Amino acid sequence: MNRRNFLKTATLTAAAPMVLSSAFTTRVAAEEALAIKLKGNINHCSCRGVFGKIPFDEACAIGKKLGLKGIDLIAPSDFETLKKHGLVCSMVSNPLVDGLGGIAKSFNRVEHHDKLVPAYEQRIKETADAGFERIICLSGNRDGLDDAKGLENCAIGLKRILPIAEKLKVTVCMELLNSKHTHKDYQCDHVAWGVELVKRISSERFKLLYDIFHMQIMDGDVCDTIKENHQYFDHYHTAGVPGRHEIDDSQELNYPPIMRAIVATGYKGYVAQEFNPVNPDRIASLRQAIQICDV
Amino acid sequence: MSTALAAAASPLLPKLAHAEAAAPTKLKGNINHSACRWCYKGVKLEDLCAAGKEMGLVALDLLGPGEFETVKKYGLVCSMVSNPTIDGLGGIGKAWNRVEHHDKLVTAYEKQLQATADAGFERLICFSGNRAGLDDQKGLENCAEGLKRILPLAEKLKVTLCMELLNSKRNHKDYQCDHVAWGAELVKRLGSERFKLLYDIYHMQIMDGDICDTIKENHQYFGHYHTGGVPGRAEIDETQELHWPRIMQAIVATGFKGYVAQEFIPKRPDPIASLRQAVQICDI
Repeated sequence: MNRRNFLKTATLTAAAPMVLSSAFTTRVAAEEALAIKLKGNINHCSCRGVFGKIPFDEACAIGKKLGLKGIDLIAPSDFETLKKHGLVCSMVSNPLVDGLGGIAKSFNRVEHHDKLVPAYEQRIKETADAGFERIICLSGNRDGLDDAKGLENCAIGLKRILPIAEKLKVTVCMELLNSKHTHKDYQCDHVAWGVELVKRISSERFKLLYDIFHMQIMDGDVCDTIKENHQYFDHYHTAGVPGRHEIDDSQELNYPPIMRAIVATGYKGYVAQEFNPVNPDRIASLRQAIQICDV
Repeated sequence: MSTALAAAASPLLPKLAHAEAAAPTKLKGNINHSACRWCYKGVKLEDLCAAGKEMGLVALDLLGPGEFETVKKYGLVCSMVSNPTIDGLGGIGKAWNRVEHHDKLVTAYEKQLQATADAGFERLICFSGNRAGLDDQKGLENCAEGLKRILPLAEKLKVTLCMELLNSKRNHKDYQCDHVAWGAELVKRLGSERFKLLYDIYHMQIMDGDICDTIKENHQYFGHYHTGGVPGRAEIDETQELHWPRIMQAIVATGFKGYVAQEFIPKRPDPIASLRQAVQICDI
């Protein structure tokens, strides 16, 4: 757009509220401003939380405009809304049953398995029915359980749901979280432990969700960890360190080389933004994050 | 606008730009910039001092007493004196974590502490040594036992011994002082203002991550900082995974008055240009 056209458009926009509803023009102007020309090497997604209180239908519309392929951590009840906007659920949320299935209480205790197995079987089926491919799972907190025993228990429980995951081609991804600041006592808190679990289970349908924010807090060495362990990872999350805010220059990670490290592994899955925006304009922060990660 | 036009039109611009580059760089004064001498093997010490001075360095790291006069001549200090070595002891692989090394190390360190103080310098590096089968608890006890023998002199001369944290994952397999937690425990055990850690950001990004919060929570145990791009230990520029200005802000926020020394191995053809860029990246 040359300067003259820009002036013309600006004049038109300024004059528009006189003839059109201001809400309409604001929305149109905002949507025009959202579109980003993306390079196509990274499949961008965002966790639902980044949108804050924006109604889900509107969040999907904005996400689509931004070039997102999908949204993470959505339950089956919202699948239709996603589909209506041409988005996928890039990581289906965990089922919850009688207080089990969340971060603190999950697969690392044998006594949880009988409840978790049917809940996961149903959720895996719903995931496949919608044509989606990944579902999250969590280890649970240690709560006194040693790491070897927790690993063994996770393997026992997960092996019960993997036949259906394999049949339906849905990958169960256990998330790596930090136990230092945000999720004290969470068991799947180092890459080494998670990798050992993937090896133990040895199914193409069980992998890790490598959360870059969480693992920068616990392990560091992000690019080389990706290079050396990508075969165990099937999904990536982002956020600024410290603080879990924007992934811009207010924090310690330089995201573009990390994205290049992911691309270099031949990864075809999704990278989902998962930060809590400081900027009251959450969408501007999400847009910036997508641009930073578009390598 | 008129300045831009004038600049664009002026055939003098290249000359002016060159003249500006040759004048000492104006830095903000929040970070005391230093650089490790060994990363510029192809550059004579005199030339490194001159170039360093011009780009705003106030010091160089890892020099022996034989090199002190040269840095002083350029108005620089040695911000971290090299470890002495004696009969194969004192370096990264074999140092303070074995009691049988102490008698020799104590003598060598007392001499190096004296030389450091005589030159008016304030920090001397030391290492744990490799585990070689020694468990972490025993290694910590041994380090404390040996270092306690030289701390009275260090305290008297006001020289701080800094044990370097190194990664044992890639570059220094089996090195014992390889996590902040272990090093911080040793500092607490010794309880002397004259024993601290050299927090090497490159090495600790490989071992521990969580750089800014680690600095915020542990700066009282750190007496010095090193840099290096991760992965690869090359330039600290946009090709690597850390965002250095934010890390420097974390250091400044702790009230740190010591030095930040660049310790990357320049990959680009002009090592001095790489060093200048690193100083600028870290000058916040």
